[in-house]
Amino acid sequence: MIALFLLTILVLLAALGAVWNARPVHAALLLALALALHAVLYLMIGAHFIGLVQFMVYVGAVAVLIVFSLLITRPRDEEEEIARRPRTLGVGLLCTLPVLGVLLHAVSRFADTGPVATDAPAISLERLGTILYTTHAPAVLAVAVLLTAVMIGAALFAREPGKKSSVSPDP
Amino acid sequence: MMLAAIQTDESLWSLEWLPRLPQRLVEMLLHKLGASEWFVDFGGLLAAAVTVVAVFLGAFALLSLIERKTLARVQNRIGPNRAGWFGILQPVADGIKMLTKEDIVPARAEKLLHLLAPILIGLPAILALGVIPYGREWTPVSLDLGLLFFFSIGALTEVSVFMAGWASGSKFPMLGAMRAISQMVSYELPLLLSALGVVMVTGSLSLPEIVARQEGYHLGFLPAWNLLTPWGLVGGLVFFIAALAESNRSPFDLPEGESEIVAGHMTEYSGFKYALFFMGEYLGLFAISGLGITLFLGGWQAPLPGLEFVPSWIWFFGKLALVIFLFLWIRATFPRLRIDQLMRFAWLCLIPMALLTLPAAAIWHFTGRGFLSWVVTVPLLMIPWGILTVIFNKRLAPATRTYRFADS
Repeated sequence: MIALFLLTILVLLAALGAVWNARPVHAALLLALALALHAVLYLMIGAHFIGLVQFMVYVGAVAVLIVFSLLITRPRDEEEEIARRPRTLGVGLLCTLPVLGVLLHAVSRFADTGPVATDAPAISLERLGTILYTTHAPAVLAVAVLLTAVMIGAALFAREPGKKSSVSPDP
Repeated sequence: MMLAAIQTDESLWSLEWLPRLPQRLVEMLLHKLGASEWFVDFGGLLAAAVTVVAVFLGAFALLSLIERKTLARVQNRIGPNRAGWFGILQPVADGIKMLTKEDIVPARAEKLLHLLAPILIGLPAILALGVIPYGREWTPVSLDLGLLFFFSIGALTEVSVFMAGWASGSKFPMLGAMRAISQMVSYELPLLLSALGVVMVTGSLSLPEIVARQEGYHLGFLPAWNLLTPWGLVGGLVFFIAALAESNRSPFDLPEGESEIVAGHMTEYSGFKYALFFMGEYLGLFAISGLGITLFLGGWQAPLPGLEFVPSWIWFFGKLALVIFLFLWIRATFPRLRIDQLMRFAWLCLIPMALLTLPAAAIWHFTGRGFLSWVVTVPLLMIPWGILTVIFNKRLAPATRTYRFADS
């Protein structure tokens, strides 16, 4: 239990660092750290599958994507970032406070029920997969179509107009 | 559970159990000392981890010599032959050289990240080596989600390569890291997809279970390995090529192409930190070859009936040596690809073929894995492969190069 609390504090610190750090690369790495610590949190409460998937998707894909886009673009300077801070802080608070309010409201509705003792959920990976691809198959298909559309759209945007192929001819 | 087995165990000294000996000795010792069960398990696991690390660090030292010797033979040279008999002490000499070299940190480097990257780069490889079943009785950590663990821990490599490239604060490491990450991201897809076919047919993510399902022989002599099925052959080849790219081996060694960008993300590292990168790369090579053997080559299963008397881990390491030799052979034979060729190959050839192995594996499973399955799945895989071959040879073949300044 103590370990869980310590880990939670670490996650929060890493997340705060990710938001507060003025250097984009440090912020991205701290975000990756926060996401990886999330995975450790899941592993510690016994949700092994979720923990490993969290690590693979968020550290392996999302964090790497952010880091890669930092590599191929030119991030803003540190000083400029700090100069913009009051403005960004206001906008950030405007966006996050309503979300925080909704979350707190949702949590407070269950606050008086106290901790509920339940058995460990006896759902196996196989059962999870079966439910996902039978009962919820339409949702999975909808998401798949959406992602395909996004990918084709991105490819269309990335393509230079008028050029037949994005692969440059041999020199 | 384990303790009862230790007390009444006469197989402790058998050859099959040899790699587990340190673990069991530590467990026995702790048990005799009256330690709690949790502590006994912990000590045993620690001993198992030390065994794996020791074995693969020894293999790494040996491979660094064998690689240079093999390449030298192929290129009609002698190779290292000064330190010890046939250069057998060359790894020791290299180690001493690396350890005593000055550690230079560039003035423009990010000190902390620059230090952290070489430490982090070996970590995923060592962790991944812990879940591979090396023998019938030797799986250091047997996880139900072993395959998922292997791939998710591999994500750390990309982050640490980025850290190395960015923290060095100069352009060659940056370019090398960009190349390395784009290559790893592109080739992770075919790697995962080709492994999925095995998961579909086995119905398990546990690596020992996957090996156990490849037991037995077809027609009395052909081992029932996944490689000897239509989808497994295609999947295994895709996995092999993607593994070459994932571990930055030639011909996919663009991230550290010496003639173009010095040494990629390792340019600004020297001394022991460079050695750590080198070590991480080789341990990663061992880990990914071990996974390929587990998935497609039957893991520790003997290749012919009647050979089961040889300890199973010897078969595993024999297969590992064979696969590593293939890596060396390819390195000695093929020239380096260009970056656009590399990307095109991944997205236009490997990923479609890896995707095709999934329906092929499903059909294989539902048509009884017999003659009918062969009749259906072979054309399903052969025809697209033929079309892709034609496209790559005719339409996408590199144009004849004209050297503007040399020809006129």
